Amino acid sequence: MGLEYVRITTGFEDYMPKDYVDLVKYGQFGKEYDIQDLGTFKELVEEHPMCAGCFMAYFIRVFYASLPNPEDSIVIGTAGCARLQLSQAAVPFIYGNYGDTNAVASGLKRALEIRFPDKNKDVIVVAGDGGLMDIGFGMTMHSWFRRERFTTIMVDNEVYGNTGGQESGMSPKGVQLKMAPKGKKFDKINAVELAKAAGCVYVARIAPTNPKRLAKTIKRAILAARHFGPTFIHAYTSCNIEYSIPTEKVLEDARNREKNDFAFYEWMSDEVKGFFEQVETKKKEAQEVK
Amino acid sequence: MYYVAEAKADKCSTYKCNQCVLFCPEPNTLMFLQAKNFAYVNQARCKGCAICVYVCGDLLKRNCIEMVMTTVSE
Repeated sequence: MGLEYVRITTGFEDYMPKDYVDLVKYGQFGKEYDIQDLGTFKELVEEHPMCAGCFMAYFIRVFYASLPNPEDSIVIGTAGCARLQLSQAAVPFIYGNYGDTNAVASGLKRALEIRFPDKNKDVIVVAGDGGLMDIGFGMTMHSWFRRERFTTIMVDNEVYGNTGGQESGMSPKGVQLKMAPKGKKFDKINAVELAKAAGCVYVARIAPTNPKRLAKTIKRAILAARHFGPTFIHAYTSCNIEYSIPTEKVLEDARNREKNDFAFYEWMSDEVKGFFEQVETKKKEAQEVK
Repeated sequence: MYYVAEAKADKCSTYKCNQCVLFCPEPNTLMFLQAKNFAYVNQARCKGCAICVYVCGDLLKRNCIEMVMTTVSE
């Protein structure tokens, strides 16, 4: 971790894999790219085995492109689709046992604060609805009660997509799935309100239909977690296989869901709001000086 | 034989737009050449989901990307 670990030792440039050389030369390490520049720089995440047209894959691509300090970040994931792609990036990835991601992240963040007291090390949990709201529910909630300073991102595909389509706590009411043919009898868990009640300082619900807003939300969640307390993003990342969405209609589906039950929602505590206002005025001043 | 996306460079370069690049789920696949102002596809990495075709054709009505058949190159 840190820029000195990324750099290639002099004389070894010709022997390193091309992808790695590209990553150091044209990648995100030590530079700040805008999300609108996607496609013009080498991204942190590499080829991955996620399905064609998977919107979770898209979310994770934008997530890595919007990391404020990739060289000082650690990503934690768990069983589920997301880990297939999370582990293919040039950012350290830790695979928690199913459900204990937030407990692992708590310990890791505390250890990093002791080991690097003068640096900001970002710990980010990216896990599915099963890992955070079903099986990992207790550990997720308790990390928020303890006000641990890291970001939790829930990539919600509303189903256990890896194991054949069982219903999860986040599946919408009435939905019939391959392994739940009777239809779900209960409502979708209101994760955003739970996070607010449990003590998160920044909470957002988002469907990935606007890359600029998505990147801004992810950046804000990570920055707020650095200084204030737990932050949470609930992202809609459809499963086009289990919900039988044709791949070319995946974005249309996200746009429709955004109009109905996944409208963009952002909430932050007053101190976080004050912090972002300060940051934004500083940015504006810096631009005016230029 | 399988489907991959192909961007028409001459048509694409007439617009100031890189929206398809921003919506591709695959990293380092749909790229943008700033100097010549057009998008191009790294076909060996394309999985053929056609989200870019939806963005360029259905949403923006520009039709600069289409799906084409390709074979594995040795």
